Amino acid sequence: MEAARLAVRNLVAGYVPGHPILRGVNLEVAPARITVVLGPNGAGKSTVLKVLAGFLAVQSGSIRLDETEIAGLPAHRHAASGIALLPQGHSVFPDLTVAENVELGGWILRGDRIRLRRAVDAVFARYPNLHPLRDKPAGSLSGGQQRAVEIARLLVADPRVLLIDEPSVGLSPAIATQVYRELVALKAEGRTILLVDQDVRAAIRIADYVYVLNSGRNDVEGDRAAFEGDLGSMVRGWLGV
Amino acid sequence: MPVHIAGIVVNGVLLGLVYAIAALGLSLVMGVMGIINVAHSAFIMLGSFLALGLLEWAHIDPIASFFLALPIFFALGVATYRLIVTRVERAHQTQGLIAMFGLMVLIENLGTIAWTTDTRVITVGYSNANLMVGSLLIADAPLIAGALALLLIAGFRVFLHATLIGRAIRAMGQNRDAARALGVNVRALSAVMFGLGIASAGSAGVALGMIFPFAPQTQIQWLAWAFLIVVLGGLGRVENTLVSALAVGLIQTAATAFLPFDYVYLILYVALAAMLVVRRQGLRGVVRRAI
Repeated sequence: MEAARLAVRNLVAGYVPGHPILRGVNLEVAPARITVVLGPNGAGKSTVLKVLAGFLAVQSGSIRLDETEIAGLPAHRHAASGIALLPQGHSVFPDLTVAENVELGGWILRGDRIRLRRAVDAVFARYPNLHPLRDKPAGSLSGGQQRAVEIARLLVADPRVLLIDEPSVGLSPAIATQVYRELVALKAEGRTILLVDQDVRAAIRIADYVYVLNSGRNDVEGDRAAFEGDLGSMVRGWLGV
Repeated sequence: MPVHIAGIVVNGVLLGLVYAIAALGLSLVMGVMGIINVAHSAFIMLGSFLALGLLEWAHIDPIASFFLALPIFFALGVATYRLIVTRVERAHQTQGLIAMFGLMVLIENLGTIAWTTDTRVITVGYSNANLMVGSLLIADAPLIAGALALLLIAGFRVFLHATLIGRAIRAMGQNRDAARALGVNVRALSAVMFGLGIASAGSAGVALGMIFPFAPQTQIQWLAWAFLIVVLGGLGRVENTLVSALAVGLIQTAATAFLPFDYVYLILYVALAAMLVVRRQGLRGVVRRAI
């Protein structure tokens, strides 16, 4: 897999015209690395992911995937260009079976049924624990199993860039640890990962580079080592205590 | 089973099948897209007049019109989605309802201008024919309409469950943003779903026109019937709509057999009111998206 680079320049975006949430954000998401975005509530972390996934319109600024400008493209075009989003909270289709959920992960491959079938089979081979659950409604699974289905579904289309929003929310510590371990494995395969997380400690542990946003703007940034030392004072600063 | 009871059951089931396709599109569009399309019944009325027009002008049998209505009304549905629904789907739900109500009134009034308020009937060779099964007498027209309806219901069921695009439509109804994140063009699929809903309404109009007299203003009765079935059966599932429509068909047929005619409509309208009270979430509670 050829690793992808995502470059965000002076990004301005929001839900209401004239009231941007992001006020000139700059990010360099390096190929085959885990880039983490941190910040207090309201900093604009999840908004960044929504814009990069094409859910939210760009008011100004640039988003380049390798050499291609993708700002302003609709969500389905972002997905087709190899960007996949794992949204915050559970996002399985509860009335569809696990197999149907996973198959829909390959929606962009639907023109090539053989390739789609192979991709689905490969994902079930990668996550053998899901195989016995294939015919169960996804909504009937435990929280951890649903997260596994979501990650499996994410990988069917073999995306080059993964946008991950709060992957451990609602999961037990043991399952959350597995999820973070899986993110590291996905990076090792050459996937570029942009992770937004409230679990600062867990996120920094797997980060290659960290950005901190505050009030929709870049605050501080640096590699993992720069953040590991003084996490406590950073978080206290966000909380204003 | 006494013959007249068997007749009530058979006729009730046939009627229920036709009612099911009258409500199917309303239920799916509400369940999957969150759109309360009160103009649905106006398209049913247009379907009846399409069958009448094709019969009078081109001698096309209503059975053929049933299938011809599908692509014609699908195109009408997609056009309605693009011209009207997309303009109000992000607005407050009331605004969407008013827009669809306006469309319903517009279609009914255009129908009245075109066809007057006179009641019409579709008369073909089998309109007054009957089939004897043992000692059971079954009218041909409801039998044919019921069989066509069953075919359409089966088609919808297979489409939504056995095809990838059908599963994507169901997925979109369960989690629109997650579907978008997978690359599903939800705007395009919404147009397809709305088109299918209107296509089923058009074909339902043909089937209803084979059984009942109709006029532009009778569409409001089909709206009440369709809502009753949707409220009774819940949204977005073909099988729920079918079961609830069969119940309505059986109740109506039984009531017609045992009660004066006027009471039949009273019973069904009271049932609609009672269901709206009992299912307290009503229609709004299950509609997640605006319009």
